[in-house]
Amino acid sequence: MVSARRPERAAVLTMTIADTMKAAIEEAIAGANVDVTPGSGQGHFVVQVISPVFAGKSMLESQRLVLSALAPLMKGDNAPVHAIDNLRTKAS
Amino acid sequence: MALSDSLRKQFDDLIAKNKVVLFMKGNKHFPQCGFSAQVVGILKDTGVPFETVNVLSDPAVRDGIKEYSNWPTIPQLYVNGEFIGGCDIVKEMYAQGDLQTKLGVRSEPVAAPAVTLDDGAAREIASAAEQNKGEFLRFDINETFQYDLYFGERKPGDLEVTAKGVTLLFDPASAKRANGIHVSWVSTADGGAFKIDNPNEPARVKPLAVNELKQWFEERKHFELIDVRGNDERAIAMIQNARMLDSATETHLMSLDKASPIVFQCHHGRRSRSAAERFVREGFTNIYNLEGGIDAWSVHVDPNVPRY
Repeated sequence: MVSARRPERAAVLTMTIADTMKAAIEEAIAGANVDVTPGSGQGHFVVQVISPVFAGKSMLESQRLVLSALAPLMKGDNAPVHAIDNLRTKAS
Repeated sequence: MALSDSLRKQFDDLIAKNKVVLFMKGNKHFPQCGFSAQVVGILKDTGVPFETVNVLSDPAVRDGIKEYSNWPTIPQLYVNGEFIGGCDIVKEMYAQGDLQTKLGVRSEPVAAPAVTLDDGAAREIASAAEQNKGEFLRFDINETFQYDLYFGERKPGDLEVTAKGVTLLFDPASAKRANGIHVSWVSTADGGAFKIDNPNEPARVKPLAVNELKQWFEERKHFELIDVRGNDERAIAMIQNARMLDSATETHLMSLDKASPIVFQCHHGRRSRSAAERFVREGFTNIYNLEGGIDAWSVHVDPNVPRY
């Protein structure tokens, strides 16, 4: 029974981290349409952000905007966010 | 944590002294993270000399470079003193030829690859395209020949291929690896999947399912079936005609054409995989590993073969 429950709890935990990431990005980039989904493993995520602020910005500038919002979650060895497998930024 | 002045000076010097510097996990010979490995692969592909700094060797360097570049992830690439970005950006710039421009190497023009689809693959792509209006099926092939198929926007430098009425987009790096591919649709337990035959792929051990092996027997396909187990295990259970890998068999196999199909088999498929990999290193190009070994064979194909 206990082992059957474990995956559920892990899924709930993952959701919480994804929600925290989404909130952090939305706070940094007002009005952004943010999509955070689980990536290739524990602590890995795929992130897509759509916002007018990316218009005319290079990929480096666009990613820097998103990543700086996530930086506190990626700091240290036991950071909740280990890696962003794929980050897509789109101008809306 | 504040970045110390001495460390900042070290980074300044490294970046000033080396035209191309990659801060990564591991080194260029043994990358210790997939993202670092991808960037190393791309830099090797361009042929430019590059310096690497292993951030795992010192926590101060690992945290320091993140602060120095104002970038929270590793790897980080610098070219001519300029911060280029992480894995995603390097991949994108390489695909579009911008990285080659920054590095001062010529990116030779790439022709659209020759691609063929079977009817099933064309039908699946067309129906998926219906649900992704305005986007195209992008077909990425990375340097280790892993495939990524997804719907996305058209990008500058893309090469477009139309086959059986469906449009596929390749970035230039993927296009070079795609010439001559054949894509087919095969049914699987959970619906179906694309099967990609690519003549540009380096030889590797191919997985063979037990029901495929059964089919090969039924079709009287010509191939060698090699059992890497010893006599003790072979006495318990054996697949018909499987030859033991002794020195006589080894000599026989080495005398064969390098394109001959050879299937390796053991109890569960692990020992046979290492034997199969050895033959790939010897230059054989049609080497198969029987997945699940003789155990899967008795479960799924022939219950008369005892399990042990």
